[in-house]
Amino acid sequence: MTFVPNWEEFEKAAEMLYLQDPINTRYSVKYSHSKGAFNVKITDNKKCLQYKTEVQQDVRKIDKFMSNLLRHMASNDN
Amino acid sequence: MVLLSNDEFLAELTKLFQKARLAGSITMTMKRYDGRSKPQPRDGTPAVKNPEYKCLLRAQSKSKKISTVVEQRDVEKFSTAYSNLLKTSVNGLKRLKKPKKKAMATQ
Repeated sequence: MTFVPNWEEFEKAAEMLYLQDPINTRYSVKYSHSKGAFNVKITDNKKCLQYKTEVQQDVRKIDKFMSNLLRHMASNDN
Repeated sequence: MVLLSNDEFLAELTKLFQKARLAGSITMTMKRYDGRSKPQPRDGTPAVKNPEYKCLLRAQSKSKKISTVVEQRDVEKFSTAYSNLLKTSVNGLKRLKKPKKKAMATQ
């Protein structure tokens, strides 16, 4: 359960984690409107990375990363 | 867990977001899915040969859980719709600073 302090680092580390074991890696985001919190988590059951933010601008970056990941998951690249 | 079509999933997800506005949270999970509907065989042979990978998405808020499978051919369409949904639904966070006037003028 490691929180990564900045998004760029998280993105890089998350990508590495995913590419090592694409089929067993899951990626989840949690949003709480009342608390104004947005948490991101990626894990392959061995290692787990988290990132949390309260800033609206970060959502755009996270969203971009998510669409890339979605595209990669639904493709036959390894 | 209810498996929905992509469009139904997006519609339900919008509702979940509305419901969780006052209290509670929403979790969305995605992972790669090879299409298998049976457990992995014990001898280690793959359950699905030459899988065509898809993406499995799940969303959960309170006790309601929904899921969908995005096929390769639907990825573009789905990811656009999904991004739009997130953009409109996730809007309760802090805004750090306003964009510069110059940037506004060029838009």
